[in-house]
Amino acid sequence: MARRAKIIPPRADLKKKAVNFTTGLDLRLTPELVRRLEKVVHDSRDRFTKDIGERLAVMRRQLLEGSTDPEEQRALVLRVYESSLEIKGAGGTIGYDLLTQIGKSLNDFVYGLAGLDAKQTRVVGLHIDALYVVLANRITGRGGVIESAIVQAFGEARRKFRGGEGDEEHDDDEERGRA
Amino acid sequence: MPEKIDFSKVSFLIVESNPLSAQLVRDILNALGATAIRMADSVERARKMLRRDPVDVIITEYHLSPENGLALIDWVRNDSESSDRMIPIIMLTANSEEDYVVRARDMGVTEFLAKPFNVEGLYRRLVAVITRPRAFVSADSYFGPDRRRRQVPFRGSDRRSTDD
Repeated sequence: MARRAKIIPPRADLKKKAVNFTTGLDLRLTPELVRRLEKVVHDSRDRFTKDIGERLAVMRRQLLEGSTDPEEQRALVLRVYESSLEIKGAGGTIGYDLLTQIGKSLNDFVYGLAGLDAKQTRVVGLHIDALYVVLANRITGRGGVIESAIVQAFGEARRKFRGGEGDEEHDDDEERGRA
Repeated sequence: MPEKIDFSKVSFLIVESNPLSAQLVRDILNALGATAIRMADSVERARKMLRRDPVDVIITEYHLSPENGLALIDWVRNDSESSDRMIPIIMLTANSEEDYVVRARDMGVTEFLAKPFNVEGLYRRLVAVITRPRAFVSADSYFGPDRRRRQVPFRGSDRRSTDD
């Protein structure tokens, strides 16, 4: 028979250690602290854009090599999956929301694939080109009408060239990009 | 007088395989005044560090290899070798779709923050795990923070019989 759930009261030791009335920061963020923290993020921007540029270069090179070996195809998909996940996470954090949108689109596109056929390779290549354009032109925020249309077009490409599997955003974790 | 939070009294472990992301979180914590910050790039390294020297707060990515962030939460919450099963754990990840959130919650995560993130979001969660500790639930199939976060008032008619 299942035992009854036991409720353990909240533990106060960490609060006791860190919360006081004299030293430290307000519990609510002040504008001054927000500015200080945003500067920390801003200072990291160049490191992230350099890293994203390098990831794009590696993905493009591997894509152009176009190996048909199943193991190398799997490795390529895994690299695209992992790099696009990093770009999705980093883009908006450093102010490049459009990188996040296109990175997410690419991540959704390759999720669960074992390899890329010619059309899928082309779609991945277009994503990489678009990410390059955003970086090269330093398009911060979500861009404008054209950028929005491009993101929408990538969504349609996903639906068309994933044979219907890409209609839904992926929700599986262990085998993402490793099928 | 309003309460203050002194991050220099709190120790952190950041578990993240991307060095840039790990460094950014570290820089933010430094800017808040934290000094006791350690970093691990895998779940196995995190376990080793925690066995040796426990911390007050863990910030972990979901997407780690070979084991993912859920394995770390599982170890902290359920393993007999875990030094503190009630450590607050914040998951900071680009795996932000609902299914990931639900899995992390059901494994016992304390707070979840999707990447891309902003500093306000991270600060709020840090303050929450330190100043508003949650009750824990220990059951056959779950050990972790009480997952009931909202108190929703009952709007229907009262059908319970009275005690008298």
